[in-house]
Amino acid sequence: MPARRGILDLAQTILFALILVLVPICLYVIFAVVPTESRMGVIQRIFYFHVPSAICAFLGVGVCAVASALYLWKRDRRFDILAHAGAELAVVFCSIVLISGPIWARPVWGVWWTGEARLTSTLVLWLIFVGYLVLRGSADNPDQAARWGAVVAIVGALDVPIIYKSVAWWRGLHPRVLKATGGQGLDPTMERTLMLCMLTFVLLFTYLVIQRWRLGRLQDEVQALLHTARRGPAPAARA
Amino acid sequence: MTPVDLPAFYGPLALLMQSSEPITRFTAEAAAAQPAAIARGFRFLIAAYSAVWAILAIYMVSISMRLRRLSNQVRRLKEQAG
Repeated sequence: MPARRGILDLAQTILFALILVLVPICLYVIFAVVPTESRMGVIQRIFYFHVPSAICAFLGVGVCAVASALYLWKRDRRFDILAHAGAELAVVFCSIVLISGPIWARPVWGVWWTGEARLTSTLVLWLIFVGYLVLRGSADNPDQAARWGAVVAIVGALDVPIIYKSVAWWRGLHPRVLKATGGQGLDPTMERTLMLCMLTFVLLFTYLVIQRWRLGRLQDEVQALLHTARRGPAPAARA
Repeated sequence: MTPVDLPAFYGPLALLMQSSEPITRFTAEAAAAQPAAIARGFRFLIAAYSAVWAILAIYMVSISMRLRRLSNQVRRLKEQAG
């Protein structure tokens, strides 16, 4: 166990160092190197953080759904902690998407928000995972919270492919930057900048998952110690 | 307009960027032609980036505070248990 903790410490330190180097590089490239998009102007630069945030939100949902399914199958508390971490990060990154998106939409579309399919389905995803966190908080005990949460996470994850395909299915207004055709694709510099930002955000996501995982383990440790202090040895399942 | 001069620190990155042919550039001429539109775009851009970093910073500080509080609690409970 201490060896595993040492590996986690090392991984976190390396990740944090990489993030500290990559974030200023990303900002420099976004503001000083990458060309300005011809129709939208400077406001298009929101896209370099908006898209990676959306990818991280999807990653969070994916981590939560897979860990939830594994929890229902194995009943291993560690999977539940990972699912909880994924859900919390999905809400954080989805919030960034839902705030940066309307800030981009106002000068480009002329409105902060519209009932467009991708916007609506992303808002639904955010509501589902906020609901997940509220539901967990209102459960009577950790096992009930884990079971209820797992079901919500698996059902909620079905919204991700809907968000991804929404522009094609409902012919929405949202730009299809990654799959654009007919000369509407990204400039190579823009594409490389986006990839750099994606890498930075995925590293940040991984760092935060580890942090949140450690928080979950500590919460369990506190509960086990409190249980021991009040009623004697803790049940094996909670150890 | 000449390409942006990159500091030596970003040398490898400059190589990465050199090979591309940008479609358009945020040129001084373009900025002079539409100053109001450019300034408005920058206001929205700064608002968006501030929001992104504020959310991430608040979340990271919140996790650090919760971790510290729980670590202290674990230490205290272990001391009490002997």
